[in-house]
Amino acid sequence: MQQFNILWLIPFFPLMGAFVNGAFGKKLQRRFGEKIINVIGVTLPWLSFVIAVFAFIKLRGLSEGEFLSDHLWTWVAVGQFHVDLAFSMDSLSAMMALIVTFVGSLIHVYSIGYMHDDESYWRFFSYLNLFMFSMLTLILADNLLLMFVGWEGVGLCSYLLIGFWYKDLNNAKAGMKAFVVNRIGDFGFLIGFFILFWGLGGSWTANGYHVAGTFSLNFHELPELVAGIGDKLLWGVPIATLVALFFFVGATGKSAQIPLYIWLPDAMAGPTPVSALIHAATMVTAGVYMIARMNFLYILSPAAMTVVAMVGAATALFAATIGCFQNDIKKVLAYSTVSQLGYMFIGVGVGAFWAGSYHLLTHAFFKACLFLGAGSVIMAMHHEQDMRKMGGLGKVMPITRWTYWVACVAISGFPIAAGFFSKDEILWKAFDSGVLLVPGWLPWLLGFVAAGLTSFYMFRSYFLTFTGDLPEAHGHEPEEQRPVVTGVLVMLAAGAVILSFVGLPKLWMGAEPALEQFLAPVFEAAEHLPSAGHGHGTEWIMMLLSVGIAFVGMGSAWWLYRGRSNPLPERLKQRFAGIHRVVYNKYYVDEAYHATAVRGFMGTSRLCSWFDVKVIDGLVNGAGTFTRAFAWIDGAIDKYLVDGLVNLIARMVRFCGARVRRIQTGRLPAYLAGLVTGAVVLVVLTRFLMDLYS
Amino acid sequence: MPESTLLSWITFVPSIGMGIIGLFLILNPLLKIGKNAMDQLSRVIAVSCSAVSLVLVVFLWLNFDQDNTGIQFVHHLVWIRAFNIEYFMGIDGLSIILVMLTGLVSFIAIIASLPWGISKDDTHHFSRKSVPGYMALILLLESSMFGVFCSLDFFLFYVFWELMLLPMYFLIGIWGGPRREYAAIKFFLYTLAGSVLMLLGMIALYFASNPTTLVDGTPCSHTFNLIKLATENDFSTAGTLLGIAFPRIVFVGLFIGFAVKIPMFPLHTWLPDAHVEAPTPVSVILAGILLKMGIYGILRINFGILPGATVWASSTMAMFGMINIVYAAFVCMAQKDLKKLIAYSSISHMGFCLLAMSSFTTQGITGAVYQMWTHGIISPALFLIAGVIYDRAHHREIEGFGGLAKQMPEYSAMVGLAFMASLGLPGLCGFISEALCFVGAFPIFTALTVISAFGVIITAAYYLWTIQRMFFGPLNEKYKNLLDMNWRERLCLYPLAALIVFLGFYPMPILDLINKTLHQMIQPLARAAGL
Amino acid sequence: MSNLSSLGFIVPELVLGGTAVLLFLLSAAAGRRASWQKLVFPALALSGLVVALVILLLFPESGVSGAECSPGGCRLFFGLLASDPLSVFFRLLCIAATIVCVFMSLGSPSLPAENRGEYHGLLLVLAMGMCLLAASNHLLMIYVGLETVSLCSYLLTGWDQRKARSYEAGLKYVLFGGVASGVMLFGMSMLYGLFGDLSLQGLQQALSSTVVLENPAGQWAALVAVVFVLAGLGYKVAAVPFHMWCPDVYEGAPTPFTALLSVGPKAAGFALMLRFFYGIFLAPGDSGNFIAAASVIPWVMIIGIISAITMTIGNFAAIVQNNLKRLLAYSSIAHAGYVLMGVTAGGQDGFEAVSIYMTVYLLMNMGAFAVVSAIDRSANSEEIRVYRGLGRRAPLLGIVLGLFLLSLAGLPPTAGFVGKLYLFSALIHRGGYWFDALAVVGIINSVISLYYYARVLKAMYFERDPGDLPAVNQKSSAAAVATVLAVPTLALGVFWQPLALMARWSASLFH
Repeated sequence: MQQFNILWLIPFFPLMGAFVNGAFGKKLQRRFGEKIINVIGVTLPWLSFVIAVFAFIKLRGLSEGEFLSDHLWTWVAVGQFHVDLAFSMDSLSAMMALIVTFVGSLIHVYSIGYMHDDESYWRFFSYLNLFMFSMLTLILADNLLLMFVGWEGVGLCSYLLIGFWYKDLNNAKAGMKAFVVNRIGDFGFLIGFFILFWGLGGSWTANGYHVAGTFSLNFHELPELVAGIGDKLLWGVPIATLVALFFFVGATGKSAQIPLYIWLPDAMAGPTPVSALIHAATMVTAGVYMIARMNFLYILSPAAMTVVAMVGAATALFAATIGCFQNDIKKVLAYSTVSQLGYMFIGVGVGAFWAGSYHLLTHAFFKACLFLGAGSVIMAMHHEQDMRKMGGLGKVMPITRWTYWVACVAISGFPIAAGFFSKDEILWKAFDSGVLLVPGWLPWLLGFVAAGLTSFYMFRSYFLTFTGDLPEAHGHEPEEQRPVVTGVLVMLAAGAVILSFVGLPKLWMGAEPALEQFLAPVFEAAEHLPSAGHGHGTEWIMMLLSVGIAFVGMGSAWWLYRGRSNPLPERLKQRFAGIHRVVYNKYYVDEAYHATAVRGFMGTSRLCSWFDVKVIDGLVNGAGTFTRAFAWIDGAIDKYLVDGLVNLIARMVRFCGARVRRIQTGRLPAYLAGLVTGAVVLVVLTRFLMDLYS
Repeated sequence: MPESTLLSWITFVPSIGMGIIGLFLILNPLLKIGKNAMDQLSRVIAVSCSAVSLVLVVFLWLNFDQDNTGIQFVHHLVWIRAFNIEYFMGIDGLSIILVMLTGLVSFIAIIASLPWGISKDDTHHFSRKSVPGYMALILLLESSMFGVFCSLDFFLFYVFWELMLLPMYFLIGIWGGPRREYAAIKFFLYTLAGSVLMLLGMIALYFASNPTTLVDGTPCSHTFNLIKLATENDFSTAGTLLGIAFPRIVFVGLFIGFAVKIPMFPLHTWLPDAHVEAPTPVSVILAGILLKMGIYGILRINFGILPGATVWASSTMAMFGMINIVYAAFVCMAQKDLKKLIAYSSISHMGFCLLAMSSFTTQGITGAVYQMWTHGIISPALFLIAGVIYDRAHHREIEGFGGLAKQMPEYSAMVGLAFMASLGLPGLCGFISEALCFVGAFPIFTALTVISAFGVIITAAYYLWTIQRMFFGPLNEKYKNLLDMNWRERLCLYPLAALIVFLGFYPMPILDLINKTLHQMIQPLARAAGL
Repeated sequence: MSNLSSLGFIVPELVLGGTAVLLFLLSAAAGRRASWQKLVFPALALSGLVVALVILLLFPESGVSGAECSPGGCRLFFGLLASDPLSVFFRLLCIAATIVCVFMSLGSPSLPAENRGEYHGLLLVLAMGMCLLAASNHLLMIYVGLETVSLCSYLLTGWDQRKARSYEAGLKYVLFGGVASGVMLFGMSMLYGLFGDLSLQGLQQALSSTVVLENPAGQWAALVAVVFVLAGLGYKVAAVPFHMWCPDVYEGAPTPFTALLSVGPKAAGFALMLRFFYGIFLAPGDSGNFIAAASVIPWVMIIGIISAITMTIGNFAAIVQNNLKRLLAYSSIAHAGYVLMGVTAGGQDGFEAVSIYMTVYLLMNMGAFAVVSAIDRSANSEEIRVYRGLGRRAPLLGIVLGLFLLSLAGLPPTAGFVGKLYLFSALIHRGGYWFDALAVVGIINSVISLYYYARVLKAMYFERDPGDLPAVNQKSSAAAVATVLAVPTLALGVFWQPLALMARWSASLFH
């Protein structure tokens, strides 16, 4: 472990930007215009990129398995529960940090163009910086709890940014949906967290919990400790499996996998740079990153790995099918993101952690490129997102067109761009894996079909948007965007190609890919996973097959949509109207959720509040009413019954009294005086007589 | 234990202020002070007295030895020799943070009672209604709250505990909203019903206690001294009461008394009414401090004196804690009145304490106490926020607003922060306490904790939904000239906001204060529970 | 002790009686409406009372004669009266209550201007009667004392001939009183018939030795006898079911006298109750056990039940009252129930509790009535609605009344709480299922009682001043009395050590 005392600056710079812009941005913008906001909001992320590069270089200089660390202060320390506020950087987090700072900073630059003339310009950059901070905290955290801070922080930022234009209630709703669904995932994460913490330091037996062992949440101590967790049970299930699965629940929320993917398509309500940065390049990959980070835990539980891989595969295919029928360009990209994330989960699920991470890396570039390209198209079309109303844009905006094309090539998996190598590695590892409880070809098959669909819908979107004739009747002609936009597109596209070189397969080069070597120390626990042991021949065939399906996909898209002239799609739509409707409406999953979960939830809450007001408070008030009623009866008895009796007697007496009144003069003192004098006289008299007789 | 009168000063400085105000009122026929002058005068007195208390509290905090698990700043005299009652003030790690909380929140509440920034034509605003009486009562309230947390003699504790009812009753009943009379009497009767049970429990404990000596060395047959009751007595052999084992029935009696204050389901329905009707500063104090007394009492008295019965009742308490969390969260979801929603969320959050402290794990009990502290700074912020909008719009119907974010950005930001803190967003102080509560409760009550953790989702849902309905969407035309926060509100809210963020990233200053004492405190419980 | 030497112990009573006679003669001599009597008579009565009080305070243990007494106190007039701490304490209370009443009577419109002489004379006779009652140790004496008190009360209740209400109240009181004392007399005669003795000590020995209780008939007879006596006592302290006279009499009687009536005779009655039952049934010696006969005559249980019923009925009936005077009447019934808890508990604690509670009750109840009479003077009504906005119209009276009500409800830091504390402590210390249950009943009742006391607070502070109410004169004698009584009501709540010591001393007889 190597102290690196400026590591904390990487998340700190964006935080500072967020604070300054958030607190004073409004006044600053009114006073000095957008420039000053850029100076703060765009420069600071670049600064943290620079530091990240420094750190990366320093990390390369270290020996195998070493990592950088920066301990700030003890965060929470209660009994055995001891958590530091500390950052650390190993190869995995270094890769992530570079992606986030680089792509993130690029998107900041792009936003200068995209958010131009927005009244809340300052707010946008403040949120975006805050997101950078959270994401970097998530990545660089050296323990689970701090990671969770970033984990929910990014959720918050995505909530804020999706609802950025809050005046439209739908945006706000989409934001809330994202946050709440993420919270469901976080709930899983938390439970996994608890089980892991207590599972490490002790065990549950028939008669309660017993502490025995050491507690830790630090990523660099966990591997050894987790290795010893093996046989412990909770609720009759191996703890490792439980934890892995609960963490995966968290991942499905954050990384939009079945069943919690529903928030991501709606999240497209946010500004496009946000979709590019948060909902494509970085945040949604947090789940993948977390599982890669916890690889030492997952390899202990084949069951969990199978779940991860199969859910990933299912998601990949499912989302791809939906993607084929969307007309909103951002929706297409959204579903493709979900599907690509599915690939990453196949990767980490079958134990090819590096491959998953590699796909994460390449996806960050080409998907960001696609989104930003879409963004520039949308700007050109004056915030029109429906591809059916587009077309022929290729002529007027060449840079956007070609960068978009490169990205499509990359995502569809043609051997000239990075997407091919990462995706192919994943599919091969899946086919070849021997750890799953299901045969490896199952996830492979799903992924394979999905790959074809991917290539189809991506090129569909490409042809619909850029080929054919310009639609007429627009205010003024769409035109190429400013350099801040196109420049970013070019850089990302370039990245999508160049990154091929860090992942050229062993099959070609004879040596492990550079990235695999670089990440090896983090994944050493996963090195010796059993494989099905297929030979190189099979691997070649697989590779050719996937290239082939990519061509099939592109070809059919070319045939159907090139120049938007082919009437076949419409006819097909008529032909299979039923199926089309179902798929077009995303299999009515949202509706189903709404009918069950949401309504059940609201129903319960109404029930509870009715119970509270009517039953519990009813009892309380009832007691009061009863008391008063009883009191009234009691009082009545006392007043009327008893009194009535008394009054009756009293009247009788008074009646008689009236008869005998005249005897008495009513002069009490006279009687008393007489009485007293009489008594005195009597005493005196007796005394006198006694004397006389003695 | 070195003697110190500091605690007595902290406790009684506010009542001295009350006395001064009263003196002015009595002498006014001679002094001939005009109404406005009198109002200003009483405001000044109130602010300065609570400020003095606050300063003394800070001094206390600076001089508190957090490595000492014993009682500090003791002030110990014989009070009523005939009944072996002592005047025994002292604090340990458990009480100091609550004393700090009381000083802070009361001061903020009194600032919030000033009419700054209230429009002149709003003559019926509570801050303009018979001010001297209001200030006197709120000072009395502050004194009694300090007293509850500082007193270590059960009788003294009880006197302060009951003393607190009167000012609350009048503050709600005189300065409250439309249904104030109902709310006030409901609060009064409900809490009294709880505390008289406590009285019986107290007397029973007294007569079951062993002979010991008073502070001046004279022997006494029984004692109210909480420390001695805890250390020198074992009530598990004390026979039966009303046919039930003595410790258990006494535990139940005391517990119900405290549970009403927490408030614990199903004894909670007084709280929403009290909150809705009470003026903002009173809600602030009610949520910020009064609710903590229930938990404090259980920890100090039930846990401290009756460990056996506590273990016996622990799983039931945890169950009720879980119900509090989930049930109240669900009820929140259906609320239409902002203040009522916040009130129920308080109920839900106090459930965390109940759940966590029943587990007897270090993390759990620390989490419970820290939750008291965090909820003690978050909920005042929430109620202040409700007050801000009420002062402007004169209603609290969530549905009645909309799009306020455009009109009141600063306020919206503050609401966002407070809500996020309350729903336990990591990086804000609420998260630390809730995490500790769950972590602590989990190994003992796995299933209950999982269900309770589900409540966190509901919490997020209702808060976000509220934000959405109040602040997002198109601006409601009625409110297109609402003003943003004024200086008084900033003065009240910014310190709390700063604390919320600071303690989210660096909670140790508070945790260090409580850690050692609590660790000491749960040893007998943990042993009895076989942990 | 022989008559002559006994005289030294009853000097206070003699002073009272003498002053009374003096008053009667003077008022006989004076014209009906002599203007000076307005001041002289009260002054005279007051001096008599004060002298009595001082003498009692100066020579509590041994009378002015300085004669020696046995530690347990001594029997006067061959056992007719007892001079012991208990009697001294309650005699002090009765005299003090009378003094307060005299002060309240000053310029009270509810008393006719004329015949002040007789009024004060009767007050003094009443005081003497109460003292004798509190000290009486012999069935005969008990009856005489009881009748003295009753007769004066009848007259004073109906004193205000201008008001039919007052008149009627007096008449009702006479009827009830007559019946009650008749019943009691019958009980006494039965006791005498059964055990052949009238002094309590004699009865106690007879009970512990006699064969009468061995056959059921005898047991029944004894039980009936005891219950009849209890009826008489219950009527004095207004315990259910002998309470019916109470509300009307309290409401009808002139308020100053109502105040006295609600405290003095009660105090004497409770003293007598303690002395009678524990005198008869407590085994000799310090054991604190009862004699065997107590097992056939379950008087503890009877009183316990009466206590529970009394406080419950009183509280519930009070809830629905709209006339504050009547409300206080019912509340005083409830308080009788509370005190009976102390009687039930018995022993050192029980006696202390009763003594302390009666003292406290004197302060707070007479204080409350004082406020009522002060308001009555201006508003000429005791309805709760005339109290609306009192907190603003008459801040001082408002606060004072609030204090008394909270004290009656038993909230700290008021004297009322201290009283309750001692009562409940006595029960719980006594222990046992039924005693704890009774304590719970008492607790619940004190919560219920808060409800109607709070109604008055609500009227005073929460409700607006309707505006048509006459201004309150805060300088009347009654207001002054209330204010003065408020001080100890609060002070004793904060520090009651001296009172506790006195009470302990008063109970020392039963060590």
